[in-house]
Amino acid sequence: MPKGEIVERVVKYVVKEIVDNPDAVDVTIIEQGPDEVLAEVRTAKGDMGRVIGRRGRVARAIRTVASAAADEEGVTAQVEFVD
Amino acid sequence: MAYVEVKAKTIDLAIEAAMRELGITDRSRLEIEVIQEPERGFLGFGGRDAIVKVSEKKPGRKRSRTRKKKRGSRQAEPAKAAKSSSRPSRQAEGKAKNMRSDAGNEAPRAEEPQEQTSNSTDPRKELSPAEQEPLVKEFLEGLLEAIGLEGRVETHMDDDVIVANVIGEQTEALVGPRGSVMEAVHELTKTVLQRATQEPARVRIDIAGYAERRRQALTIYAGELIQQVLEEGGELMLEPMSAADRKVIHDVVAQHEGVRSYSEGEAPARYVVIAKVEEAEATAEPEGGEGEADVETESAADAAAEDGFSAESPAGDPES
Repeated sequence: MPKGEIVERVVKYVVKEIVDNPDAVDVTIIEQGPDEVLAEVRTAKGDMGRVIGRRGRVARAIRTVASAAADEEGVTAQVEFVD
Repeated sequence: MAYVEVKAKTIDLAIEAAMRELGITDRSRLEIEVIQEPERGFLGFGGRDAIVKVSEKKPGRKRSRTRKKKRGSRQAEPAKAAKSSSRPSRQAEGKAKNMRSDAGNEAPRAEEPQEQTSNSTDPRKELSPAEQEPLVKEFLEGLLEAIGLEGRVETHMDDDVIVANVIGEQTEALVGPRGSVMEAVHELTKTVLQRATQEPARVRIDIAGYAERRRQALTIYAGELIQQVLEEGGELMLEPMSAADRKVIHDVVAQHEGVRSYSEGEAPARYVVIAKVEEAEATAEPEGGEGEADVETESAADAAAEDGFSAESPAGDPES
């Protein structure tokens, strides 16, 4: 199983659930180290505001859930929201 | 009446933020009170943020003048005012709870910035709370599947609140340290509903029984502290807690004679104070007027503090 697979699946799922344009959601996993992955999240332009949320609340929640997902596969995960 | 109080660099920014928080897109519907004018600091130091209090205009309802005055003085010296002996009694506190749940219904609906200008073309459907229940169930089931955890999701309605229980040993992974992951799941669930409907229902989530266990532990803890305050008098400051946890404490205190509680500080360092109700205070019940206005301020600020998490906490409604 490639590293970060669960992280990718979870982040993609959550982001698609909260945007207006799920088809435009893209999550790229980049290996940062032996046990560390970075998930880069891209969305349609108008959707990024919702993904980040007021005062970054939603972004923070996504990061927290991504970390829980990463735990499941024994890695740590960072999530970056790319504009 | 639901209102929010917002601090920001300028009055305009504060009003914008308040509109998002209240979910109001039309500025003419707002009642705005400037609590504090912003001041520019010197070389970026010593500046002061603007503070505004914003609520939705209720046609034909006059605002209380006393409240405005009271609020102003409290803002200037929050700590002192919070401890002043004109603090509300039990009766007023009960009222405050209702206020808080009102605020929970109206205030914390977070609207995203891009939706503010597109009110007339809002693509979201009007769904009753019960119609939103399956959305919550599906979202949580999908989340379990995505992360690969065995478990199931049960939902039911408690009045207009959607209650979701995520059940199964493995779902412990979605609780996290001190319930942090569960709080995140709650936030995301609310966001899903905000996308789906114009009036998202309140949601209460428990995962692997954590919220219930936490509530029980906090209830016992609060009971011990209340005894201590009753015996020794004075006030007890608790450690900072989440809005959900604070609400459990407030609820327990409200069930006891002779003590009262309030919150101080700003999230995430906001904490509960449990105080003995002194004799003079207990007999001099504030009727209407300032005492009530003050507690309303307190609780509404609490409710608005974290997106109304207290009103939607996994720990239960103010009524329960």
